[in-house]
Amino acid sequence: MTMFHFFNCAILTFGPHAVYYSATTLSEYDTFGTSVKAALVYLGTVLVKLVCLATFLQVSENDGFDPYQELLKVLIGFIDVAGLYFALTQLTHRNISQIHKFQAVGLGWAFADSVLHRLAPLWVGAKGLEFTWDYILQGLEANANLVLSISLAALGSLIWLRKNKPKTLIPVIYACAGIVATMPSITSYLRRGLGWHFPEVVGFELFTSLVMAFFSWQLFSACQRPSA
Amino acid sequence: MATSKNSGGLRQLLESTYSVIALLFILVACVELCDAAAAVDVYRLIQYDMSGTPFGSRFAALNHHASSLRFPPGADLSRTVLIIPLRELNVTFVREYITQKKPLGGLLFLLPEVLSFKQGGNKQVHEKGKMKKLLMELEQLLVHSNIPYPVYFAFENDDIDTVLADIKKNDAMGQPATATTGGYKLVIPIAEPKKVASPTITNIQGWLSGLKADEDANQLPTIAIVASYDTFGAAPALSWEVTAMEVALWLFLKWQGFSIFSTQTLRQEEAEELDLKVVLKHKKINISDPRVAWEHEQFSRLRVTAATLSGCPVAPELFEGTGGLFDGRQYVNETAIVRGVKLVAESLARHIYGHQGKSAQIFADESSLSVNPAYIRSWLNLLSQTPRVAPYLSKNDPFVMALKKELAGHADEVNVQHENLEGIFTFYDSTSARLNIYQVASVTFDLLLLLVLGSYLIMLFCFLVITTRGVDDLIGLFRRPPSRRVKTA
Repeated sequence: MTMFHFFNCAILTFGPHAVYYSATTLSEYDTFGTSVKAALVYLGTVLVKLVCLATFLQVSENDGFDPYQELLKVLIGFIDVAGLYFALTQLTHRNISQIHKFQAVGLGWAFADSVLHRLAPLWVGAKGLEFTWDYILQGLEANANLVLSISLAALGSLIWLRKNKPKTLIPVIYACAGIVATMPSITSYLRRGLGWHFPEVVGFELFTSLVMAFFSWQLFSACQRPSA
Repeated sequence: MATSKNSGGLRQLLESTYSVIALLFILVACVELCDAAAAVDVYRLIQYDMSGTPFGSRFAALNHHASSLRFPPGADLSRTVLIIPLRELNVTFVREYITQKKPLGGLLFLLPEVLSFKQGGNKQVHEKGKMKKLLMELEQLLVHSNIPYPVYFAFENDDIDTVLADIKKNDAMGQPATATTGGYKLVIPIAEPKKVASPTITNIQGWLSGLKADEDANQLPTIAIVASYDTFGAAPALSWEVTAMEVALWLFLKWQGFSIFSTQTLRQEEAEELDLKVVLKHKKINISDPRVAWEHEQFSRLRVTAATLSGCPVAPELFEGTGGLFDGRQYVNETAIVRGVKLVAESLARHIYGHQGKSAQIFADESSLSVNPAYIRSWLNLLSQTPRVAPYLSKNDPFVMALKKELAGHADEVNVQHENLEGIFTFYDSTSARLNIYQVASVTFDLLLLLVLGSYLIMLFCFLVITTRGVDDLIGLFRRPPSRRVKTA
């Protein structure tokens, strides 16, 4: 819908990433390299996921919700978690504190996700004459995805990088991490199984991302305090 | 051994990745193709020059906002297309617009679905008499005017009906569609119309010779039956006149293998037997007038006795009665055509074989020579689905070839003549196109969106600075210059 609209949707989709990088202390500590590496790890993860999906998943005729297929998709979704683990622990980062590490990794992860999944439809569709709300909703979804990625990275760093965690919080951490990791499957169930429309799904994603971000923040600051 | 296996597996992996990526690209390409809210087939008003004077719609490309008849009075319509369904058509309104040369972006007339050839013409038409009259009036008005903007015809369907209802709602709220208020945009991407290069008219002639008796004093002179198969209407892509009873008759007579070339006058007795009223009309011909009122007058000028079979009591004016938008398959009475064919065949046969006055019917029903309604029906169906405006029929048009083949099947000799139509008439192409209807948002909407997004990003920035660095840092971002002054002091 004209270049103006494309520009609007682009800044909605990719703006928050840039704002996040410049507003927080990430820019001061020059964590750009970490974000770039995390983005590359994400690309590799996506390729592996694609191959697994192509090999194991059968294309069903109807658009309904098939539990077996969805279970397979959840399992393949855990490749995401594995990728994140690789980015957090295996890559050699410069000497940056844990706070910045998970933020930088989460940011790079979310940015690569937005570019891969949303840039092409935006470029093709938003420049045409026909107006739809889809691209604005997609931008909001990208925002929710950013928050979710950072939360997942925070929880992941808690699980794998922090050794002394309060015992009571460990199951909570794992539960939250589990929920955030399976968010894609939950949204696809909502869309196909319950028949929710795109605006409703995006609203749900925004809400849960804020809730999970709050929980992760609390957990992280709880673990920051020296354990009793 | 192991390494070759590994490399083979890796190659398979790469190949499957490539196929998946290729699929993704195809998907992305498909997203681009189905872009518009609706896409409809539209047919353009004819554009022609007669002795240099331009007539018809002079433009083809369209890229304007749409409006219905309920536009607010005094609105500027020079960049708007008016969508007028036939039911709401007021011919005086259109005539006023055209004769007073009021500026308009374009016109789109919506014809009821029943007139479309895709329907098969079996539906009942409500108020069809009134619609037919309206269409005839509109057609005559459009064909004889010079219109400096594109005029298109389209058939109603669900998509376009919803779009029109939406437009009417917007117009009722007093918001005509422009670039700043949004609405619907009609786009027809088509090149400028060019002249049809050397348009030809094709004449098909068939000869059927009878038995030649030696020195038969009563040998009949040649009878020629002439029928015109072409049409002329407001939309050349939609002109499929079906009152071509003559064509059906002509083919039928060939089928019966008749030697039917002679001068001929119609007999009233045969007509009475078939319950048809035939009136013989004599009319003086003006030899100096280049236009002829009836088709047979051309022959009369060459001193050949001729007559025309017609349902019209008076000679039609220029381009009247040549079959236009309103001539649909469903307006044709098949039984009437069959009866007419039988009448002409009977009278011809009696004349040729000298049975005048006798009451035996040669083409009696239920005999082997009776008129076959199925044959007539199949030809009528073909005629009603083929637009036949002569300049737009190429030399090897399938319809012309079909007529020639049918004739060749029953006549001894068939000749095809091509005549060039240059001189008085010039026709222009681009007769049909595809209309895309887009729902567009206004520029103000995007400006508002930009404002909202800008404030959202600024708020996000402030929030992040406050939570990660503290409020002091945020204030510090705006207060850096004073600190330098303090230092120097």
